[in-house]
Amino acid sequence: MPEKQENRIAYHEKPYPDKAIYETFNPLVEEWWKKTFKEFAPPQKFSIINIHNRENTLVSSPTGSGKTLSAFTAILNELTDLDMKGILEDKVYAVYISPLKALGNDIEKNLNEPLQQLNELFKEKYATKKKKELSVRVAVRTGDTSTSDRSKMLRKPPHILITTPESLAIMLTTTKFREKLADTEWVIVDEVHSMADNKRGVHLSISLERLQRITSFTRIGLSATVSPLEEVAKFLVGYEDPDKELTRPCKIVDVNYIKKLNLKVLSPVQNLIKSSFNDIHASTYNLINELIQKHRTTLIFTNTRSATERVVHQLKERFPKQYTKIKDLDEETDDDKSFIGAHHGSLSKELRKNIEDRLKNGELKAVVSSTSLELGIDIGYIDLVILLGSPKSVARALQRIGRSGHKLHDEAKGRIIVLDRDDLVECSVLLKAALEKKIDRIMIPRNVFDVLAQQVFGIAIEESMKAEEAYKTIRNSYCYKDLTREDFNKVIKYLSGEYVSLEDRNVYAKIWYDEETGMIGKRGKLARVLYMTNIGTIPDETSVKVKLDKQYIGSIAEPFLEKLRKGDVFVLGGQTYEFRYAQGMTAYVKTSVNRPPTVPSWFSEMLPLSFDLAMEIQKFRRFIEELFLSKSSKKDIMEFINTYLYVDEYGANSIYEYFREQYMFAEVPHDKKLVIEHYDDSKNKYIVFHSLYGRRTNDVLSRAFAFILGRIHGKDIELNINDNGFYLMVPSSRSVQVSRAFSLLTKEDLRLVMKHALEKTEVLGRRFRHCAARALMILRSYKGRSKSVGKQQLNSRLLISAVKKIDEDFIILREARREVLEDLMDVFHAEEVLKSIHDNKLSVKEIYTDIPSPFAFNLITMGYSDIMKMDDKQQFLRNMHNQVLAKIALKEARSKN
Amino acid sequence: MEISKGIQIQGLALLIKPENILVIGDTHIGMEAALNEEGMLIPRFQFNEIMQETKKIIKKTKPKLIILNGDIKHNFGSISRQEWQNTKKYLELLEKNSKVIFIKGNHDTILGPIAEKQNVEIKKHYKIRDIYVCHGHEIPRDKEYEEAKRIIIGHEHPAISLREGPRTEKYKCYLKGKHESKELIVMPSMTMVNEGTDVLKEKLLSPFLKDKSIKNFEAYLLGDKVYYFGKIQGFSNIN
Repeated sequence: MPEKQENRIAYHEKPYPDKAIYETFNPLVEEWWKKTFKEFAPPQKFSIINIHNRENTLVSSPTGSGKTLSAFTAILNELTDLDMKGILEDKVYAVYISPLKALGNDIEKNLNEPLQQLNELFKEKYATKKKKELSVRVAVRTGDTSTSDRSKMLRKPPHILITTPESLAIMLTTTKFREKLADTEWVIVDEVHSMADNKRGVHLSISLERLQRITSFTRIGLSATVSPLEEVAKFLVGYEDPDKELTRPCKIVDVNYIKKLNLKVLSPVQNLIKSSFNDIHASTYNLINELIQKHRTTLIFTNTRSATERVVHQLKERFPKQYTKIKDLDEETDDDKSFIGAHHGSLSKELRKNIEDRLKNGELKAVVSSTSLELGIDIGYIDLVILLGSPKSVARALQRIGRSGHKLHDEAKGRIIVLDRDDLVECSVLLKAALEKKIDRIMIPRNVFDVLAQQVFGIAIEESMKAEEAYKTIRNSYCYKDLTREDFNKVIKYLSGEYVSLEDRNVYAKIWYDEETGMIGKRGKLARVLYMTNIGTIPDETSVKVKLDKQYIGSIAEPFLEKLRKGDVFVLGGQTYEFRYAQGMTAYVKTSVNRPPTVPSWFSEMLPLSFDLAMEIQKFRRFIEELFLSKSSKKDIMEFINTYLYVDEYGANSIYEYFREQYMFAEVPHDKKLVIEHYDDSKNKYIVFHSLYGRRTNDVLSRAFAFILGRIHGKDIELNINDNGFYLMVPSSRSVQVSRAFSLLTKEDLRLVMKHALEKTEVLGRRFRHCAARALMILRSYKGRSKSVGKQQLNSRLLISAVKKIDEDFIILREARREVLEDLMDVFHAEEVLKSIHDNKLSVKEIYTDIPSPFAFNLITMGYSDIMKMDDKQQFLRNMHNQVLAKIALKEARSKN
Repeated sequence: MEISKGIQIQGLALLIKPENILVIGDTHIGMEAALNEEGMLIPRFQFNEIMQETKKIIKKTKPKLIILNGDIKHNFGSISRQEWQNTKKYLELLEKNSKVIFIKGNHDTILGPIAEKQNVEIKKHYKIRDIYVCHGHEIPRDKEYEEAKRIIIGHEHPAISLREGPRTEKYKCYLKGKHESKELIVMPSMTMVNEGTDVLKEKLLSPFLKDKSIKNFEAYLLGDKVYYFGKIQGFSNIN
């Protein structure tokens, strides 16, 4: 084993010769392989031998490149070999973990096929009286598996077990099942990229360490395009010695180059600024329809679930002949009457399955999806992927486009349709980055306390042990290498109920902790049930149903309901509705009178622009500004845009005009110059920060600036953000000292400022709820009850104030703050931005405009607004009361006249 | 502040003058234990706050008689250990210098044992002069009710959320309006777990309010003191 860390994570760059691979094969397997496949697919050439040699391996390659068999072939080979020798035991040899149950089912099918073929071949040539058949078994165990199937698995365990991260954690906590896992030799984690950047991955990383405690095994990771691969590899394998910063070794196989890309950015109209909204709208659907008609099967991605529905609806409405079957005498259900369907997370499992099946059978011309079809479930033949609006990250774009041309040598064909000029610039730069394989980096969360609490509880249920041992086990996970003993103890104290008085402890404590012996263990008879029924990291978003009389229209987020009051008009799924009243978690509406919305739409599900891509756009902005400054001709600039961005002439022209307007009218902001635009519409002052860093970073910067300015002036400040920047807004009568805010806000203070800035926000409250649920402080299911009204009555602010009374930095509250700052928002890059300002690497330029500059326009008109509360709740009440008094006084004065 | 002649708002309670009768609405003692039972393992905080708020009011008003206007405890049917202990503690505080009367609410299906133990009278309503106090989950039809001119109810837990720009905040409130020809006063709850039902948004439950437009009611919002906001239609967009 390499002594030095730098040698432990290594790219495996040379494919093995076929001969060498065959040499590792059992003769039957070799014969089967040669008969079934012509050759080894690229990832297989790199990985089969490594896995055979029990080397940890991370395979990154596109969907359909033979990734699954690159992981399984060595395992199938060995199991077959053992079986033929008659020494295959009844135990689990390999565990396959996928984030999606559906994916697990696909894999089961895909494994049973080779197993059957192997068996046929065996029966033909190798069968003896003693051994007539091969007996390698595969089985799926997920939350959907019935109790009887589960106990069957206990009696006769599968050799290859297919499961999900949650079910794995449950199995590790079940004594009998844990025994069956005790000789696991391989663990395959599929779609690593989809878990590494979130709490599900953090949770899985500890489960793997829990398994590692009972057996040592080879780790195999399968991933779509992701960056940085080295970090994802470390995440997969964990640490051998966290104190010396030594990870377990891992070989990286990166074969992302093999699929050809055929990508284009399309604008539905020639000129995006001169066309009316209705023109763009109509042309977009014409364009989509045209593309669909030219291809066999098209997959369309939108960025939100509501947009998904809208697109399906519009296409059916505008082109009924193309998308609706003529009703014939066949007794078909309503669903089966069209050639187009929607697929997204809010739809029922059955509906989604129906769409997947019809897609596989080639019955659909097009499917519209949000994110649900991004992962590798088998969806059959797709020859075109349309992205409606920017996918916001290169990795996501490649993942989505990679769903087309499923076979290895097919090209992946993608068309990105842009709807405005910001979109055009963004998607053009994205396309360049995609073609040049500049993948945006993901962030792997660390020191996550709610997941830690849940897992330590699981460990304590497994067996009583020294807390120190649990601590050591957990620190081997990539995500907890830097976990301090102090913080770990806080989690232990939380779990053992030390935050409440002794008499109440029986209600709250989940484990016991003996300070003298340092031992922990499970507490109470219900512990195991409680753990199993509440496990997981995906929050139950309590969504509010929207109903028109008895008809279900859709759902809205809970905090959105909080904002509504009778008579408000809002948009849902492209329609406007008037809010009548709420009853529990249902909002009743009527189809709206002809009034514009009175409350802005809810943007919570918007995808954020990745920071790396944002910086690429900023760099492009700088190049263009340099060309303007050096007085280059239009022709030269157009030519530059054309070659730099791979866009057509229309596109280049639109981009040129857009930048020229900004350059002439105001100032082009870029990666070395932050432009702050002051604009006053005589009612309000807008301070627009042209900070193109993506909304996650802007979320931090905007709140931090709003907080500091709010503090200086002692007043609430309204703020509005999008990916390209943010603005702060105050009444025109107030002055704002922006430069003072800049001198006060430093990288070093940012987290402290944000801690205060977040304290009263809805988002912290909501995230605290999620964290409390993961830490099993709020239980989804308890004593056989799973739903309750009381839970919903208790508002998040009060929950927080309850735990704050125990400790201002209660460990779960700390986690909520971390989650908001590091996972939801991006405090790291915000710190970087502040640092580069203070180091004079990023200059700040303030400008004053009479109307918003072109680059500010989208932000001013479409951003999502929030407020930095400076007044406390009492002051707000007094202000509102004064307004009412003024109104009354005015009325009285009027009536006197 | 006087909400009606001789009826003062004292924080979360009403004081009837000159008799010095204190009316307290919906305490829902034991709600936290009920929340625990549902799997909300959040540290209990509300009972202490109810105690403190009540102590403050009593100290200021020195009432002769205290009327607990229904939903004294939270659980239907049974009394949990926590409810029993806390109700007892709460009653001891009230009974120090005052007589106490329970008015039965819809949650108080079993109050008998505790009332008996503490020597407290249970009634369906309480009447003094033209003022009639009842919980409000049903409309009484007794003679005293018919004669009364002013009705005080709880049950609804009224609250109002104020909105300006993107900011929304919710406050407990008193409402004053008409029911048939009588004046109707709706008290906020003493519960600290949440502010209550947003009357500008949610479906109202009390038969006194159910099928009525709320726009003509006057609102008194509770913050550090009482703020009179006038008629609801004057400051909100509802119609």
